[in-house]
Amino acid sequence: MKKFMLAAFVLLMAVPTFAQRYITKNGYISFYAATKLETIEAKSNQVDCALDTQSGFFVVKALMRSFIFERALMQEHFNEEYVQSDKYPDATFVGKVENLKDIGFSKPGTYPAVITGKLTIHGITNTITAHGTFTVADGKIAGSAKFPITIGDYGISIPAPVVGKIAKSFLITVKVDLNPLK
Amino acid sequence: MKNFKRVLGILFVLGILLAAYIWFFVINKPHRNFETAKPDITMNARQCYNEASENKLHPGGKVLEIYGVPSSVEKSDSLVVVVFAFKEGMFGSSGIRCSMLPDNQKKALALSTSDTIYIKGFCAGYNGTDVVMEHCSIIQSPKNK
Repeated sequence: MKKFMLAAFVLLMAVPTFAQRYITKNGYISFYAATKLETIEAKSNQVDCALDTQSGFFVVKALMRSFIFERALMQEHFNEEYVQSDKYPDATFVGKVENLKDIGFSKPGTYPAVITGKLTIHGITNTITAHGTFTVADGKIAGSAKFPITIGDYGISIPAPVVGKIAKSFLITVKVDLNPLK
Repeated sequence: MKNFKRVLGILFVLGILLAAYIWFFVINKPHRNFETAKPDITMNARQCYNEASENKLHPGGKVLEIYGVPSSVEKSDSLVVVVFAFKEGMFGSSGIRCSMLPDNQKKALALSTSDTIYIKGFCAGYNGTDVVMEHCSIIQSPKNK
């Protein structure tokens, strides 16, 4: 938690011009994985996200317990056995927009974006690259991206009795409507 | 032979009942009803935020009942969030954010920012800037007392 706050603080304060910073606290993240035997899908609508359009720094944070599953039992297993939400209460991404010069944040339009950064889940950090878009309209920025993760890379193990039922790769979807920080 | 068939029949029926029980009440058990759940913690919203941000309170995973005067109500798509703001930070205002249950959204949108309200819901935790609550309902307000 403190590491995330420090990283976010350093990254976002690097260029302290308020008009360049966009935030939301109602960001959306979902994850989806399916095998023939089991489909796992969950979503969270209270995700924090900040973007500095000058430096390209991009920060996302989601509380693991904010993910809602269709099945209550699946949600219990997710929090208690898989991601251990008591011990690792959040997932964070701290990264940077790689193709910043190709995106006109001051000009309305939809721009492809490539974001690379460090994703931390279950206390384990990996570097990932996500491809998505930024849509600039009405003084706001809508961002969206989809990327896969392998849960084994984050130290999340699947118990032997259900190992064939649960997919090892999850598709993550991120959608954020960012407003200028006043 | 007759007894064997009878035992087999009873075991078959018990097996069906057990499978039905596991399917409906274990695998597909309903989500907890946080509107009727007994709160684990009841406290003033500002105190709750202060204690969570100072790492003195760990509300994640608990049913939380808070009371205070809301600062604003945000609406985006299908989401209605009652906000108790107490500090200004690098991500804007910080406080407690309560995502309302669908059948409480209309009531939440009509809230006044001058009346004390009670809100109950499931606390997802403190994310470094806000205490985040889900499945929230307004359990008491001056208008519906």
